Amino acid sequence: MNALRADTVAIEADELRKVYPGEVEAVRGLSFTVEPGEVFGLLGPNGAGKSTTVGMLTTTIVPTAGTARLAGYDVVRESIGARSITSVVFQDAVVDRSLSGRENVAIHASLWRVPSDEADARIGELAETLGLAELLERPVSTYSGGQRRRLEIARALVSRPRVLFLDEPTVGLDPRIRAELLDLIAGLRERGRTTILLTTHYLDEAERLCDRLAIIHEGEIVALGTPTALRADLGEKLVELRVTDDAPLVLEQLRARAIAGDDAFTVGSTITIPLHDGSAREAIAAIETSDVTVASITSRAPTLDDVYLRLTGGRLNAAA
Amino acid sequence: MTVTSPELELIAPLPAIPRSPFPPLATLARRRLRLSARTPRELIVPLLTPILFALVIAPALKQALHTSNEYEAFVATGTIGLLIPLNTMFAGIGVLVDRESGAQRELLSAPISRALLVLANMAVALAVTALQVAVLIGAARARGIHFHITGTGMLWFLAAGSLFTIGMYGAAETLAARVPRTEEYVARVPVIAIVPWFLAGSLFPITALPNFLTWVARFLPLTHALALIRYGLLGDPRGLEEIWKLHDVAAMAGMSLVVVALFAAVLTAVGIRTFGRTAVR
Repeated sequence: MNALRADTVAIEADELRKVYPGEVEAVRGLSFTVEPGEVFGLLGPNGAGKSTTVGMLTTTIVPTAGTARLAGYDVVRESIGARSITSVVFQDAVVDRSLSGRENVAIHASLWRVPSDEADARIGELAETLGLAELLERPVSTYSGGQRRRLEIARALVSRPRVLFLDEPTVGLDPRIRAELLDLIAGLRERGRTTILLTTHYLDEAERLCDRLAIIHEGEIVALGTPTALRADLGEKLVELRVTDDAPLVLEQLRARAIAGDDAFTVGSTITIPLHDGSAREAIAAIETSDVTVASITSRAPTLDDVYLRLTGGRLNAAA
Repeated sequence: MTVTSPELELIAPLPAIPRSPFPPLATLARRRLRLSARTPRELIVPLLTPILFALVIAPALKQALHTSNEYEAFVATGTIGLLIPLNTMFAGIGVLVDRESGAQRELLSAPISRALLVLANMAVALAVTALQVAVLIGAARARGIHFHITGTGMLWFLAAGSLFTIGMYGAAETLAARVPRTEEYVARVPVIAIVPWFLAGSLFPITALPNFLTWVARFLPLTHALALIRYGLLGDPRGLEEIWKLHDVAAMAGMSLVVVALFAAVLTAVGIRTFGRTAVR
């Protein structure tokens, strides 16, 4: 049984759905698979359903419908098996503050049945590599936010999980610590053996770390693919113009003149026009010769934010 | 400080599903003990009121009411019925702290049965309560209060005290799982831990209560536990007789023990079920 499971898909979600009391539908039929060693991102604003999805996969939230498997273990029917191959780094601080760093990590190792001599060795190695060696005997209440987050990552890794869940791992950290952590997670990615499911609403994290990502909006996956492929849907360049008149009306005029395609979109007074054919210079020239009143106009490469905007009509970071 | 990516072997072989619950139970109990040991007020505060009753109020009442030395022993054993609920309810605060600090989420993600989280806390509550009861009895003896303890009596006392502690911890875990905040939990402690104590024959026999309340007292698990504790520690079966109105002391003690055991079993099951239902949404 274990041998079969070792070769199977790391994460498999099929029509996962969660409805909270009060008919609040947080997740609406998510389906995706993650291959072993892959870093998969769930990208979306707060309230999109990312943490609920992670909760269902880590068996702390019971799905209302659908199934999910981790290395073949059904998260509902074989929940202990599913938990035995995973670790979670939670969005909020999840530590025993009055215990030392070593005690926190050792408790995890013991609950995940890591033999004590092996656990001691791994705690030492992880503390060294994560810059925690000097802190390990101190109560966690004395740690800074970044130190605590590194401890939580050490704790998650001490049981050598096949699947590591990182739920918004950099939220609330200052830029320097955030950069350090991104380096660390990127290092795990390069090692390529641990499957990582990362939730984030930061585009740069998703771009840098994820092999593939799913954009979640209001509990549904609205796009799924590699960051490059998702951006490619918007062409190589796009033109962004700010108008003084009613933007949707102006967009209709630009579409009527074949300057904008169906995938052009508006946010407030800004119109974004993906360019699949032709150059940005030609598009800008066409706009300037039309009778549209333009406050400003620029061209640039598409970003994941544009992908998200086009699909949902909201800006990722603003929504977050 | 330099952070490097771990160059360790990152993936463990797929584990066999663990079967024995005892290693994780021991780990969880050690964790709870360490946390309790680092907050000494959890250990000391529940002791204060019972010690006050046993060592100060009981002698004062004896003197004021011109009663015998027997009354001091009666109250000293009665305060065990206050100490156990107070201590177990205080222990329940640890569950709320785990939830509010987020530590509970890490424990819920562990590959263990979630009932173990409740049972480990219960084991620690039992151990700490046992220590506190020993301190209370030791202090009472040092104050000159006499107990009449036999081997059989000790067994009745241990059985009743342990089962009542287990039941009360089940109540604490249930309450902790159901209330959203520590403030609300603490506000309910007096009703659960103290009100029954006044009705259960702690400071006076239950037959001294109005008839209606005497009947109420007969249904309280604490009344049965206290009657057994007094029977065990003092050799005094009067509490059992006031409940059952029979002559066979062993039969009455057995029936009271069944009541306390049922209380423990039901509250433990309810505590585990409530925790499971509220912790996992």
